[in-house]
Amino acid sequence: MRNMSQLAKDIFKYGRVKDCPVYDMHGHMGSHYGIHFPTKSAEKTVKSMQAANVQKLIFSHHGSLMMRDGNSLSLKEARKFPGLLKVYCTINPNFPEVTEKDLAAFDEARDVYVGIKLLAAYHKKPITDDGYKKAWEFANKRKLFALVHTWGDNNMNGPEQIDEVARKYPGCKIFMGHSCHGEWDKAVLLANKYKNVYLELTAVPDERGPMEKFIEKAGSKKILFGTDMPWFSYHNYIGAVLGAVRKEEDLRNIFYLNAKKLLGEIGQL
Amino acid sequence: MKIKFFDANAYIGTQMLGVYKSAATAAELLEKMDEVEIEKALVYHMAQFDYSPEEGNKMLVETMAGNKRLFGCWTLLPPQTEEVIADNFFAQMKKNRIFALNLFPVHHRFLLNGVVFGEFFKELIKRKIPLVLSMREGGATWEMLYSLLKEFPNLTCILTDLSIWGVDRYTFPLLEKYEKVYLESGVLSLHEGSFEMTVKKFGAKRLVFGTGFPEKYQEASMLHLLHSNISETDKQKIAAGNMEKLLSEVKL
Repeated sequence: MRNMSQLAKDIFKYGRVKDCPVYDMHGHMGSHYGIHFPTKSAEKTVKSMQAANVQKLIFSHHGSLMMRDGNSLSLKEARKFPGLLKVYCTINPNFPEVTEKDLAAFDEARDVYVGIKLLAAYHKKPITDDGYKKAWEFANKRKLFALVHTWGDNNMNGPEQIDEVARKYPGCKIFMGHSCHGEWDKAVLLANKYKNVYLELTAVPDERGPMEKFIEKAGSKKILFGTDMPWFSYHNYIGAVLGAVRKEEDLRNIFYLNAKKLLGEIGQL
Repeated sequence: MKIKFFDANAYIGTQMLGVYKSAATAAELLEKMDEVEIEKALVYHMAQFDYSPEEGNKMLVETMAGNKRLFGCWTLLPPQTEEVIADNFFAQMKKNRIFALNLFPVHHRFLLNGVVFGEFFKELIKRKIPLVLSMREGGATWEMLYSLLKEFPNLTCILTDLSIWGVDRYTFPLLEKYEKVYLESGVLSLHEGSFEMTVKKFGAKRLVFGTGFPEKYQEASMLHLLHSNISETDKQKIAAGNMEKLLSEVKL
């Protein structure tokens, strides 16, 4: 492997490197209406994590995203592997009574909860909608993570909506899931404009080019590794990052240093 | 054991919308293959898809220039229009190191069935020439593929560019029913556990390694294969052995 750092060569050779863990900041769990997932359970997920030295996965269960009142599924699975699995509390603005209940019970689940997850394009209400307001204010006050599914050319969770919430809720650490897929330049602008906004890699490595742009224009300290697990596999995604990122320092920032710092800031390391 | 790689899915040239650091020539592709230690590749030219199969096929031959590490794949159009398939077609394939054929029925606007390709596909079956079917936008649809295989169950088909959304619900029935259907591993390796489950259910012989370069990172499917939860023997079969075997059986 020419032009690769020693760290990258070691990952290629061994599949995992002890002093370079991976923190996956964007995952899911369970079965799904549109895709067959061979890796559905927490047990199988953790096995896959171990094969690639993934030491932390923060996820929201498909049941929490695709049906009413499903956050308990995430909590149940995460508690099977304390420390390895953490949870985003899914906020679906179509069911305000569930949001109210989940936020009221949030502190009882601080052993696993690290923030909120928004999937506006599927829930058909923009992230600036009033239906999310209580959750944003809650996360802002407590300086929690907010993993937002983002996509380019989209008025539910596109760059314009991120711009608005990033300004309004500076306490939140906002992770742009999929980095405004397709509108890469706008994602970079947002990551540079706001201290609390980060580029997240899920669905980004499917295409050569954007990761190189992120490194060059935003720098590796604003990039978080994520896979949509079990949508995408660890070794495929890690391989893609190794293909795009040459410097060892950048690889370490992306794979774990940035995530560890953020988790430390919310007392969840 | 050092794994040897044969990439079943790479192209030369760039799309008309541009692709990040693509390989403009065969020499540039070989350079990129050397960088990641891929020994051989089945290649086509993007002009075969975007511009014109007729002209793109010629451009492929010109840039390959007989290089022994590259195995050409021409793009088909309906035989009746004589744009691509003409007299001495198979002799021309042999002369120009073309070992497989692909087609993009949606983008190139024709139907993929026996009315259009009947006699020609019978010849492909006899000669064991693989037909590469890209499932990318503009390639074949799943409905087309299912109908095609019902008509020509013995056709050797390599399915490439499988969708970003997992496709097991489409591919498993085909693998179960048609023994000459093969999957290219590039995008398949993206889906957690699907690759391993495919090997477990249908055997390593049904997969061929591919990268999807220049749109995809070669390193992604390589790292995945190297550390997948299958035997070392199966890894080598998928990495290069199956593709080498398929191409060695081609009669031109």
